[in-house]
Amino acid sequence: MVSSEHFAGWAFVTPGVAIIILFGAVPIVWSAVMSFQKDNLLSPSTPFVGTANYRQMLHDPIVTQAIQHTLIYTALFVPGTMLVGLVLAVAMNRKIRFISFYRTAAYATMAISTISEAIVFIWLFDPSYGIVNYFFSLIGVPQQQFLNSPSEALYVIVAMTIWGWSGFSVVIYLAALQGVPQVLLEAASIDGAGPWRRFRQITLPLLSPASLFLAVWLTINALQLFDEVYLSTSGGPLNATTVLVYYLYTEAFQQFNFGYASAIAYFLFLVIIVVTVIQFRVGKRFTYYRS
Amino acid sequence: MTKHRLRGRLAGLLTALTAVTVVLAGCGTDAGSGSSASSSPIDIWEGWTGVEATTFAHLVSEYQSEHPGVKVSSLYVNNDDTLQKVLTAVRGGSTPDIAYLYGSWAPNAAQIPQVVNLTQVVKRPGVNWDDFFTGERDVATVNGKVIGIPALVDNLAVVYNKKLFAAAHLPAPGPTWTWAQFTADAKALTNASIKQYGTAYVTPGTEDTVWRWEALLWEAGGALLTANNKQAAFDSAAGLQALDTLRTMSVTDKSMYLDPSDSAYANLFNSGKIGMLVTGPWDLSGFPNVDYGVQVMPSYPGADGGHQTISGPDNWVVFNNGSARVSAAEQFLLWLTAPAQVKYWSLKTGDLPTRTSVADQSSVTAAMDAALPGDAAFVQNLAEVKQARPQITQYPKISTVLGTMIVSVLLGQSQPQAALTAAAAQVNADLAG
Repeated sequence: MVSSEHFAGWAFVTPGVAIIILFGAVPIVWSAVMSFQKDNLLSPSTPFVGTANYRQMLHDPIVTQAIQHTLIYTALFVPGTMLVGLVLAVAMNRKIRFISFYRTAAYATMAISTISEAIVFIWLFDPSYGIVNYFFSLIGVPQQQFLNSPSEALYVIVAMTIWGWSGFSVVIYLAALQGVPQVLLEAASIDGAGPWRRFRQITLPLLSPASLFLAVWLTINALQLFDEVYLSTSGGPLNATTVLVYYLYTEAFQQFNFGYASAIAYFLFLVIIVVTVIQFRVGKRFTYYRS
Repeated sequence: MTKHRLRGRLAGLLTALTAVTVVLAGCGTDAGSGSSASSSPIDIWEGWTGVEATTFAHLVSEYQSEHPGVKVSSLYVNNDDTLQKVLTAVRGGSTPDIAYLYGSWAPNAAQIPQVVNLTQVVKRPGVNWDDFFTGERDVATVNGKVIGIPALVDNLAVVYNKKLFAAAHLPAPGPTWTWAQFTADAKALTNASIKQYGTAYVTPGTEDTVWRWEALLWEAGGALLTANNKQAAFDSAAGLQALDTLRTMSVTDKSMYLDPSDSAYANLFNSGKIGMLVTGPWDLSGFPNVDYGVQVMPSYPGADGGHQTISGPDNWVVFNNGSARVSAAEQFLLWLTAPAQVKYWSLKTGDLPTRTSVADQSSVTAAMDAALPGDAAFVQNLAEVKQARPQITQYPKISTVLGTMIVSVLLGQSQPQAALTAAAAQVNADLAG
């Protein structure tokens, strides 16, 4: 009886497991092997080169730049998205007219495809014709070059992605806000706590599991930034928006250095694991789970 | 080469889906099998969209009705992604029989063992290989081996807004014009107060940035690499002249709109915001709102390059899935690229004829020009294609270096000579390594 249940259980999960192994585990192992090979996928010869691909990264100035850009981007994108999401969620966590319209509108940024988003932002931030420079001119700010400027392009990408992802953090925070018990807030009111104090000492701690989730999730996504860069700047100008995943894409599919690209991918994989572990460890101290 | 970039990206999503389908379909078929030539199936990967897609489908069905029993299946793959998908398919043992590949990939594609050597095929009677333009044949040939049959050809010329020229009291560009005139016209057409620019340049730093400059380099009498392709040759007076021309417009005169996305310049030209563009025939259909003219690229007086342009031909490449399928694929391709089909294709799509015998028919060019004004000028301009980019596997690397060099000058971040010196050193290191 037990063994037949056992069998049925395995039978049910086997298709899923097979798909995960085929499309998840096999590529992971294969790219690990490739990272120790010289492989252009074109010719059948793929000699093992030991750790040469990893050592090459140390001497590649663009890898250093790409790491810097990825870190700057992550450091701005993750808190930025969480903050925008939190502010919007708090603003929408009340009973006002058309609230469901506002909520839908906030989430719509997630439903819009990245290509449309990129095109819109390219025009918003166009140095000559963009509306952002127009508003700057109204308030006397000098005209900026934005995507044409190596020192500004990355920040345009940050703005673009914060806009795109804010809908996601709004939804997470809204759900979490609904779980904040009214009784606690009312009790605090009676004890004389003002709105800011109630938010700071009751709402915010109760949102901490959602915040931890968002921090981890958004960080993993930020470290893997690709689409917006590919669509709007192709890593330019002058590599100013070349992030790790975009660089490994160009190495693999434009330069045909699949071995080297795999090594970069594995480096990124390790970075993500380390960062995530740290986030969970540190997060535990600040996260309050209501039992 | 650069055709339908953005449209292609949109289609990338579809491609991802079709790729999955291909993988699944590949699981069930034995790629090496095939009974007789007449009944061998032919799988084609192509990236045609819009009118090109319908025209291609029409030609395929015509071929099938002329050759009963032959089943031609074509699969849409975004052109930008075809090589990477082919590479995956090569590893998985499920290559198509024919794929549309960019000409700039030819040296790398030639390394794939499954790519069929067509050198003898194009010598067959009736093929008339020399009827294809020199620039096309150069790009289809790697180290003396023909690895593809020309599928599409284009070139660069100057498209200008007649109304803006008249408003600025400038004579329209003539066939003997020079880069000095181009630069002066661009300056005269620029009006910062109404945000009007004389010309535009794309600055993503990709090959689309690079090939436009290469035309100037050749016109100035320069070369990219030494004749044996072993060393950089662009750090020369000609290279400097070509970069200086761009710098004068982008930095000194500010008459050049810089487009990092590679997608804005065409809309701006169509909105009457840009006076002249160096671009190819693929953009013409995007200018319905502008009365434009087309003129050859300006020249550098005194330089031995004269008027030149650069062409980005693409190839049909055959993959070996057994001799029966190879011969069926070759037969189909020779039919598809025969004069009658080339003529039909150009008349329907407005794409430039890949064969001189078709391009020389004035009735064809007249009909093309009537459908798409300016198209005939691009057909004539095919004669100005005198050189091809170096056919070496390191070209993608060189292109990246040149892209950085050009963009750094256009953005005013480096001086032309310093940028040339640095780029040449980098290219020499890449060629040696």
